[in-house]
Parts: sequence; C-alpha cells; structure tokens
Amino acid sequence: MGLNLPTVPSGEPSFLTTRLDFVVNWARRNSLWPMPFGTACCAIEMMATAATKYDLARFGMERMSFSPRQADLLICAGRVAYKMAPVLRKIWDQMPQPKWSISMGACASSGGVFDVYSMVQGIDTIIPVDVYVPGCPPRPEGLIYGILMLHEKIKGETLSNVGLREEDPDRVGRPNLPAGVVEELALPFGNSTQQNQVSGLVNTRALARPSDRQP
Amino acid sequence: MSRNKGFEDALRDLDTAGRAGEGGETGPGVEAEAASHPTVPELRAKFGPAILHHSVVAGDEHVIRVALENAYEILAWLRDDAAQRYDYLKDVTAIDWGGGRPLELVYELWSIPNARGLRMKAAVPLDSLYADSVASLYATADWLERETYDMFGIVFRDHPDLRRILMADNYAEGYPLRKDFPLRGRFTRAEQTRRSLDFDLADYYNEQELSVIDDVARHHDAQRQAESAP
Repeated sequence: MGLNLPTVPSGEPSFLTTRLDFVVNWARRNSLWPMPFGTACCAIEMMATAATKYDLARFGMERMSFSPRQADLLICAGRVAYKMAPVLRKIWDQMPQPKWSISMGACASSGGVFDVYSMVQGIDTIIPVDVYVPGCPPRPEGLIYGILMLHEKIKGETLSNVGLREEDPDRVGRPNLPAGVVEELALPFGNSTQQNQVSGLVNTRALARPSDRQP
Repeated sequence: MSRNKGFEDALRDLDTAGRAGEGGETGPGVEAEAASHPTVPELRAKFGPAILHHSVVAGDEHVIRVALENAYEILAWLRDDAAQRYDYLKDVTAIDWGGGRPLELVYELWSIPNARGLRMKAAVPLDSLYADSVASLYATADWLERETYDMFGIVFRDHPDLRRILMADNYAEGYPLRKDFPLRGRFTRAEQTRRSLDFDLADYYNEQELSVIDDVARHHDAQRQAESAP
C-alpha cells in the first residue's frame, strides 16, 4: 500500500491508522472471494463446505470466484503434480493484491502420502501460504476453522506495514522458496536420488541396463 | 450367500496356480489346453511358431505370448478375421519384471460380438526397446502407446505422434515405471520444482496448437472439405 499514513513519533501507528486498519480489515475479511483450486478429494469437502449445511456464505464467501482476477483467497484443495505447479503459480500471480492462500489437506501442505517423483512436496514451495489445514481430507469444520484463523490473521494486518502487499516482479513464475530450503524440507529423505532401494542401499536384484534414453 | 462355481474356482486358482501362471518370477507358467479358448487353436494353425505360449490365469483369463515381430500381423488378423473380430483394444501397457529380464508388452483384447477376451504379451528386449505401433489398427492405441512410451520408454515405430502424455514435455528424468527408476525421481526436489515452473507450453507448441478456438475452426474446415470433396 503506497499510502503515507500518519504515525506518532514513537513509530507506532496513530489512532487514525488503527481505526482505518480496523475498517479495512473488517471489510476484507468479511468478503473474501475464494478461488477454488480443487485437484482431488479435498475439493469434495470444499464443495460440501460451500453447500447448505456448512454454508460458507456466512463468512461472506458465497461467491466462488473461478476467475483469479476477481479472487482474494486461493484455496488449494488436493494434491498438486509437478505438471500442475506452473498452473498454480500462474493463477497465484494473476490474483490481484490483497490476496491470501489456504493449503487444504495433507497433500497440498506436504505432499502427504505421495512422496513420489511426480508430486509437489507442499505447495509452499510454489506459492506463499497463510494457513495450512491438516486432514486427509479435512472435514468442512476444519476448513472453516482455517478460514477463521485467516480472519484472525487479517485482523492483525496494518496499512502502515508498507511492504506487506508488495510483490517482486522478478519472482513471478519462480519457486516460492530458495532451492536449499526446498531440499531441507524434503528431509529426512534428503537428496531424492539417495533414498530408495534402487540407489544401492537395498539390493533389488535390478541389473545394470541400457541407460534411459532422454527425450 | 452363494457364489457360482466358476467364481469359486477362480478364487482357488488365485491362491494356487494363478501366481505361477502370470509369469514373472516363475516363468510363463503352465501351458493351457489348446481347446480351452476358441481362438488359440486357430491362431496356432495360422501363425504356428509365432505363438510361443498359451496359459490361463485367475480362472478364465487367457494369455498368449507371441514373438514381438509378429505382434502387428497377429493383432491385424485377430481384428479382421470374421470368426474372431477382436474389435476392442482395451489396453496397451507394459510390465518391467526387473532383474534384467525383458520388458513385457501387453495387449488386452475384447471381442464385443463374441463377448470374449484375450491377453497378448510380447517380450521387448532391453537393448532394443522398439515395437510396431498398432495405432493404424486401433485408433485407441494412439494414446495408450504414448503412455507406454512415457512410462517405459518403448518406442513405437510408425506411431502418428509419439510424445510424452502424462509427464511434461520437458521431463528428463527417464521413464518412471521402470524398475530401476528411483521412487522420488532422479533429480533433487529443488531441481524438480525449478524445472516444472520453467516449463512453458509455448516452447513446445505453436500458437495455433495452443488455441482451442483455432482447433475447432480447423476441425470444421476439414469437415467441410471432406463433405465437398466427392
């Protein structure tokens, strides 16, 4: 936010700023428009959350925005394959500020049981995440709890934090985390070529064979 | 609760002979009676030594093993012969048994008119992973063979469009369903993330291919031309 808001000499936000923050955050958190990025079974629970019994409309979220340009909240529900990662990143980059994201379920948060060659190990390697909702899949109550936690987070935001909503154009389409951190997150398995049976730690009787032809 | 007898037999076979019959660890299994499947005697009469083996697994699933170089003509005959009419190719896939054994190419056939199934297998040697494409016989083989190429690296000769189908076009870690492929891939997680975000469809497809609207227009043009041609 490029506003020059008044502060008191100590650097604390002034009365005017805090009142403005209160109004802005109240408006933002009560009209979150979710962008549903449903890729697996978590999306079924997300749909149940939006339906009558749990009724997301109570939180000002009745409009699922299938266009990223008109969305504030990306709910990534389900596992994300590496082939899907550029799509997720592009949708995140297309969403205008202010924007938040919820990683719904074990697979979106950490790769879940899919610790394999084709699966992103947590979408926080691709986009920044505000709230992680555990569960496989989380029940609608879980997702709603995550949304309420996001509300609490939005309550704490202030317009005097100038850099909060700034985005670096160079980071568009790039991984969210540096390579070293991604590797660290992949622990305790470490380097992905060093931990399975074929690496030689366990003999599978797989003999040497002609090397794979690269495409 | 009563089950029919055929189902009971099939269950018992699964416990005993089924595993051995499937091959793999113990070889191709017990040779089945030739008369147990109406197609097999005719296949033997027609192709002779190209039919290497015939076995029955899981009760009533008939598996024939054929020489790879004859697979195409056998499939063509099975499809076109008036008595066989295996007009539905359910699946094309492959099996890697590991341990230096050849890959096994599998064709699942079904004859809708005769309500009969047949599984055909052919060994593909590891030092020459080539097979003849059957996409000219069964249109469905197009994508099934692309998947087999993508997952096992078997190259299908004369395939109309042999590209990866499941993994991204820039995937360079090899063929994931091979036994010697590491579960988590060959690259580090950071490298996999970097490569996946680097992938840009525009590097692999031209603008026309990426445009659905143009595609529909092209389709209509082709249809119009086909209608006005004769």
